[in-house]
Amino acid sequence: MKALNWDELAELALSRVRAAGAEYGDIRILDSAMQTVHGEDRRIAKIRDGRDSGFGVRVLYRGAWGFAASSILSLEEVPRVAKLAIEIAKGSADLLSEPVRLADEPVHRDRVITPRQIDPFSVPLEDKTTLLLDVMEYVHRQPGVVRSRANLWARRDLKLFVSSEGSRLEFDLLAVQGDFEATAVHDGRFASRSFSTPHLRTGYELIADANFLAEAPRIAAQAVEKVKAPPVDPGRYDLVLDPEHLSLTIHESCGHPSELDRALGYEANYAGTSFLTPDKRGAFRYGSPHVNLVADNTEPETLAATGYDDDGVACQQWDIVREGIFVGYCTNRETAPKIGEPRSRGSNRADGWGSVPIVRIANIGLEPGVASLNDLIADVKRGIYIEGHGSYSIDQRRYNFQFGGDAFWLIEHGRRAHMLRDVIYYGITPEFWSRCDGVADRSHRRRYGFITCGKGQPGQSGWMTHAAAHARFRNVNVIRGQAAP
Amino acid sequence: MTEGSAAAPKLTDRDEFRFLADLVFKRSSGDQTFVALQDQHGGTVRFANNQVIQNVDTRRISFSVTVAFGRRHGTAGTTDLTAGSVQEALTRAERLARVAPEDPEYLPPVEPQSYPTVPTARPETAAAGPSGRLAHARQAIELCRAERLTAAGIVSSCAAAVGVAASNGLFAHEERTEARFSLTAQEGEATGWASAAHRSIDRLAVRERTRFAIDKAKQSVEAKEMPAGRYTVILEAPAVAGLLTWFIWMLDAKAFYKGTSPFSGKLGQRIVDPRLSLKNRPDHPDLLGYGFTSEGLPVNNSTWIDGGVLRQLSYDRFTAKEHGVDRIATLESPLLSGDEWAKAGVGDLIRSTARGVLVTTFWYIRTVNPTDLTLTGMTRDGTFLVEDGRITTAVRNFRFHDSPLRAFNEIEAFTVPEEAVTTETGKLLVPAMKIRDFNFSSVTRF
Repeated sequence: MKALNWDELAELALSRVRAAGAEYGDIRILDSAMQTVHGEDRRIAKIRDGRDSGFGVRVLYRGAWGFAASSILSLEEVPRVAKLAIEIAKGSADLLSEPVRLADEPVHRDRVITPRQIDPFSVPLEDKTTLLLDVMEYVHRQPGVVRSRANLWARRDLKLFVSSEGSRLEFDLLAVQGDFEATAVHDGRFASRSFSTPHLRTGYELIADANFLAEAPRIAAQAVEKVKAPPVDPGRYDLVLDPEHLSLTIHESCGHPSELDRALGYEANYAGTSFLTPDKRGAFRYGSPHVNLVADNTEPETLAATGYDDDGVACQQWDIVREGIFVGYCTNRETAPKIGEPRSRGSNRADGWGSVPIVRIANIGLEPGVASLNDLIADVKRGIYIEGHGSYSIDQRRYNFQFGGDAFWLIEHGRRAHMLRDVIYYGITPEFWSRCDGVADRSHRRRYGFITCGKGQPGQSGWMTHAAAHARFRNVNVIRGQAAP
Repeated sequence: MTEGSAAAPKLTDRDEFRFLADLVFKRSSGDQTFVALQDQHGGTVRFANNQVIQNVDTRRISFSVTVAFGRRHGTAGTTDLTAGSVQEALTRAERLARVAPEDPEYLPPVEPQSYPTVPTARPETAAAGPSGRLAHARQAIELCRAERLTAAGIVSSCAAAVGVAASNGLFAHEERTEARFSLTAQEGEATGWASAAHRSIDRLAVRERTRFAIDKAKQSVEAKEMPAGRYTVILEAPAVAGLLTWFIWMLDAKAFYKGTSPFSGKLGQRIVDPRLSLKNRPDHPDLLGYGFTSEGLPVNNSTWIDGGVLRQLSYDRFTAKEHGVDRIATLESPLLSGDEWAKAGVGDLIRSTARGVLVTTFWYIRTVNPTDLTLTGMTRDGTFLVEDGRITTAVRNFRFHDSPLRAFNEIEAFTVPEEAVTTETGKLLVPAMKIRDFNFSSVTRF
């Protein structure tokens, strides 16, 4: 696993932290392996195999944070970096009005291995490139398709977390994903349709089970149908949203506003604050009674289910929205006490050894209801069924949003009629969720992961999974996504 | 902080990089071998609610090896420059390249080049360290506190040694520095914002920009709601930069020739107001240009839009060869400028406006329709109604749906180019613009 003894390096750092009189310190040592295989227009354009190793030392000194990190993992560099982290914390203390107080957390000593059947790094590269070349070939058999793209991705993180409180946590975390896309041209326009597995903490069996080759003709045909489809007529429509599409809606309009650091102003200069301010907890109507949004960092295979977060707090399950009422936040050990919570929700995560952990969206999912997808569509006279991710944007308090999608079908009198293009819907977050009048049952539930959730300065990429079944929203504003003449 | 205790570690210099590269080339079995290095040291002090919430310092080395056998190629990277780790990266790259399928678009590394001398590094930035960053942060926080406002923002600085080399003799190495400052000043729900980036940490103008953000926040109190619709807008430079950045990102030549670009068929045609020109100016002291690209191509001054006419596309090497383009232009230091009719500043645009909306910046800009480059996004941190040549009230933030290809043809007036850095873009020099009939499609609640 490692050439140098990581425990000894950790003790070397923490002994400096303790000797300096810091009230808290931790070290994360990380060795990440990443492999990407990228195909484009019937060729393998890039094969990249990366290793990223290093460590970060975090120190709390008189209530102020200091963090230093280095990719040089050596007996000389570890004490230098630990000393620097202490000095930085001392400097931060000069500009402090409210010292940081950490919520209590039991000491944990554990080893976490995420589930996997097939190690993606053991799969022959030829198998991967052949799969991508074949799927692109299948896509290009469809007349009208002019471009293709196909990717496989895997990352394995070996990590050690040791804190001055006595926690020692060892991690072996694996994640896998694959996708492909077809782009069609017609009458001076172009449009793409894509297929993606979720990003999951599982093995290469995810790719094998996804059956790209079986899906390729359908995706290619829909790309062509989409580019030739009529544009949507602006107006108000009932929307039926698929789980993949909803994963993004949940992420942007529920996940981010439920991050407590945002609600407390920490992200005011970049990712923004939150309309879900602490005074609203327990009373604010976020959505209709059909809307139950649950944070669950314990569900196996999901991206935030890492056993413990980067505060060393055990992963948990809790409510964010219960029967439409906003009830809970994603927190870390620093922010939880500020709203009177005795324990962190375990949502403090960094995107690597060189990044300081910050509050991150948990695995937040929409709880299933009782309907079937057919039931939801059958009760729509004039609506749109939307699949997948498209254009998205939301204001810095997560209030005014707009979403597109990857594919759109007009619903007329309870039946899917034909595809549409250029569909954009927009609204105000709590008003939109209050229009939800039905959620499909558990058999429709799917999980989708995010690995590029931007937040923090310097920017970090957060990882989390959002699960949902199909859901219906009544009378939503839809416009045509094109510049008016 | 202890004097001198946080001295910057020495980055990989030119001779060390050459030694490392030659070592890899000697051991490589590939037909061609290419290496790239980025050795970076820097940090960020981050503050919110008028206190430091995060203070970090990171040294990161990234080294990658690309090996090719014929048209088969693979790349492996490491963050560990010990001999064993570099050898292991080379071995992994060789293994990938041996089993990779042939890439019909593979081209060997570029031949040895001559590079322009660009003033990429400033010693005061490399030496700033945590204490230098804290001093700037303290200044911003204290100015906001004095005005009873709340400050959130960052001061960052970093130095990097960057190198590329190939087994055919290609070699480039340079040191680069960069410092950044951004601040959101808050008065209740009202916010004002300013941002800067420069090679020199001494050129961030923290005091002036903090005052600018404070003034914006104070002006933003009690924002009124205006209906969505088409307005004359005065876009300050960061708002123009937000639109222009997406415009630049879409200039890809391969997409152009495959018909999947908003610019397809428009090369040589007038696409924006004829008074506008877009150039690359890597040697400009206020931009963040550098001497060579990640492939080892030299960066040069170039013209992309001339008198409103699209003159240049962004070529990858294969597409350039396919279309007989022998010199690849780059656009990492964009300068958008108008002709001699430019007004001096935003104040001049305001004074000449009977009724319009002044936009400080845009947030969360995304494409809605790539065919016509329709974008969406929100106004942020200072949106105002202008009436009879002056700001009369703050207004709630709007969402827009519009295309820079349309908007940049509806320009009434523009300023001389100004420095523009947004939360989502690099650094550009662009004018502020007054634009007719800009489409605000909805309004938010603050």
